Amino acid sequence: MAVLELRNLTHCYGEKTANRVVAVNHVSLRIEPGELLGVIGHTGSGKSTLIQHFNGLLKPTAGEVLLDGENIHKDKQTLRASRFRVGLCFQYPEYQLFEETVRRDIAFGPTNMNLPPEEIEGRVVRAAQFVGLSDELLEKSPFDLSGGEKRRAAIAGVMAMEPEILVLDEPTAGLDPRGREKILQMIADYRRQTGSTVILVSHSMEDIARLATRALVMRHGEAVLCGTVDEVFSHGEELFSMGLDVPAVTKVFLALKQKGVPVRTDIYTNEQGQAEILRLLRREGRA
Amino acid sequence: MIRDITIGQYLPGKSFLHKMDPRAKILWTLAYVIVIFLCKNFWSLGLMVVAAVGMLLLSRVPLRMMWKSLKPLVPILLFTGVLNLFYSKTGTVLWTWKFLTITDRGVYTGAFMVIRILSLVSVSALLTYTTTPTALTDGIERLLSPLKIFKIPVQSLAMMMTLALRFIPTLIEEIDRIMSAQKARGADLESGGFLKRAKALLPILIPLFVSAFRRAYDLAFAMECRCYQGGDGRTRMKQMKLGARDFVGLALLALLIAGVILLNRFFVPLL
Amino acid sequence: MIQLKNVSYTYENDEQNSPAVCDVTMDVRRGEFLAVLGHNGSGKSTLAKLFNAILIPTKGQVLVDGMDTADEDKVWEIRRKVGMVFQNPDNQIVATIVEDDVAFGPENLGVPPKEIRARVDEALKAVGMYAYRHQEPHKLSGGQKQRVAVAGIIAMRTDCIVFDESTAMIDPQGRREVMDTILRLNRELGITVVLITHFMEEAVQADRVIVMDSGRIAAAGKPETVFADEAFLERTGLELPPAAKLASMLRKSGVDLPKNILTPESCAQALLAAAQKAGVV
Repeated sequence: MAVLELRNLTHCYGEKTANRVVAVNHVSLRIEPGELLGVIGHTGSGKSTLIQHFNGLLKPTAGEVLLDGENIHKDKQTLRASRFRVGLCFQYPEYQLFEETVRRDIAFGPTNMNLPPEEIEGRVVRAAQFVGLSDELLEKSPFDLSGGEKRRAAIAGVMAMEPEILVLDEPTAGLDPRGREKILQMIADYRRQTGSTVILVSHSMEDIARLATRALVMRHGEAVLCGTVDEVFSHGEELFSMGLDVPAVTKVFLALKQKGVPVRTDIYTNEQGQAEILRLLRREGRA
Repeated sequence: MIRDITIGQYLPGKSFLHKMDPRAKILWTLAYVIVIFLCKNFWSLGLMVVAAVGMLLLSRVPLRMMWKSLKPLVPILLFTGVLNLFYSKTGTVLWTWKFLTITDRGVYTGAFMVIRILSLVSVSALLTYTTTPTALTDGIERLLSPLKIFKIPVQSLAMMMTLALRFIPTLIEEIDRIMSAQKARGADLESGGFLKRAKALLPILIPLFVSAFRRAYDLAFAMECRCYQGGDGRTRMKQMKLGARDFVGLALLALLIAGVILLNRFFVPLL
Repeated sequence: MIQLKNVSYTYENDEQNSPAVCDVTMDVRRGEFLAVLGHNGSGKSTLAKLFNAILIPTKGQVLVDGMDTADEDKVWEIRRKVGMVFQNPDNQIVATIVEDDVAFGPENLGVPPKEIRARVDEALKAVGMYAYRHQEPHKLSGGQKQRVAVAGIIAMRTDCIVFDESTAMIDPQGRREVMDTILRLNRELGITVVLITHFMEEAVQADRVIVMDSGRIAAAGKPETVFADEAFLERTGLELPPAAKLASMLRKSGVDLPKNILTPESCAQALLAAAQKAGVV
């Protein structure tokens, strides 16, 4: 059974005003337990609006959001519980840090859940471990951390709620290669160790290709493509024509195809690219 | 959506009022506000109402929009009206009940006050409806520029106003974002008593201040990089020129003031 | 254009008192497109701020067209020559209307109104934002805001623009817009460009690359030469541009490819040549 399900979800901003904007248009989606769904789309494609429905921050104009088969807007308790069951981490989450110490900041979510102090402490320690923050850093002011550390502390603040579903909006935005790599590794480890469902919004097809089991492509508020990563990336040319940033490897193969070389274009990782070129070059060798 | 809030309430248009120089419009509004408090009877007040209606017609601002800016005033109007209604103890008694009395003078005073506030607010609203915030700041800056003789940093003050206008939408967006982020961590902003709510604001205010300071710091660098050295020696791309329209407007203003003075003299003062 | 002679810079509030930029000697040549690479904390942003007297070196000397940035009388002249576009597009736009913002620099320089008008229109056209001149900046996308910021600099008739991670906070589409603008300014208007970045794909388009690590210059040269050493890049916290990575993997498995592959285009071209040589096309 799907852990999270969207049924015909529509969201309009400025309903009943002259500048009514349909940000999400009739999107239906089932998210299975334990999967990692990658969400791809331009700025303004509706992906940020979409994910704010997962924990009930936004209320759909039409349609339903079901968590374990139950409508999250059923009553106040269910809605509040959904905040903790679906952990949503916004873009540039370091801007939400406010406490005196990193430890207390990470504890903010669990404290709001009214957990016993020992449980809160345990969760803070576990979350800090996931994101690789040392005990020493936990006692520092969050404003004294480096950019990458702040980002990880903020993500830990969401992880510490130990949500069944973790939603991350552009967790690597603005970081340098080393910082990006750390975050991506952290997401992979977190998922392997906790078995949680993860939803990852990213501009980077490379990151989606590397981590996701399934991908959703949003465009003008609609879900235009949704399927396994292979299925979605097999539409390489289509994605490229939507102006999405396809992986550089895919660009190489699209260009080769255009030059008349008989290659596949559903290539999106370097390993696949390497295999495809070797297949191409050696085929003739063997013949 | 919170970020749709427009600051000021400028309505784009090409009417007579839109095309007037902001300085002329600011002078007009200012004079109107002062003169309306000099009105002593319904005749002079009536002339002011006619002037306000005339401006409304010249601005081509739809009545619906005017109503929108007057609507929040309804409670204040009712309060003022009712208070004045019962306050006056002189004049012919029209109605009494226990300690409450309404006299004809009370009715007149109440109506007078309500009309005065209505015209005042309408005219000020028209100024903001027909003038962009930028033009307003520029107008104020130039009207105040004689004050430079007294070493008042008019240009710097105007710069601050412009920056405030520029950053209000950005900060509103920021508040929106921080609120969502904290709500996602279970922050409860809606329930509890005063103290609890005040405390619940900290997770929003602290990040907001941190970010505002960072922005201010960045902005100062960016302005220095663009050779901003304060007001002295600056030129402006957009020059303001008083045109025929503005002289007509100012002439009408003079007539209006003269009319109010005359009507005040010829008719019995109400208050 | 810009010369740095044994420049060091230490932040005053730094507890360990370790210099953010340490004994750097380099120059920026007139008309070139120079990319400065490095991971966060490598000193690349500090270096950028030394170029136009935002920071004054604690040791050594920075000369802009022969003017010392430590000379207080020359500060404004230097900033007029070397402009800067920052990381966060929101924090550098000062006016509530696009064209007023572009006019801000020339107004500060005391340029006559008519000429400001001409410069503003010209600058907005150069970055492709003329159609948006009456818009409010906060309604633009990240890429558009950065282009407005660029227009604000070129309206000052600067000779050189330093982009301090100006593409780090915007989405891929906006990044492409800004990169296209940067390339055009450099190629068509002959403006000297210094691009501070950690995106390898952007650096490959430069004439020259400098890699910063712990405040020092770790490497300098043409992109093809600097990016040829994969192990070195990894040591400095960087990674190969993706197309170069593919080429490097293929070379390791025995495919004969030239060393200068950096972009998807050049990679496809080289693979085509390899395929033709192997007789598969």
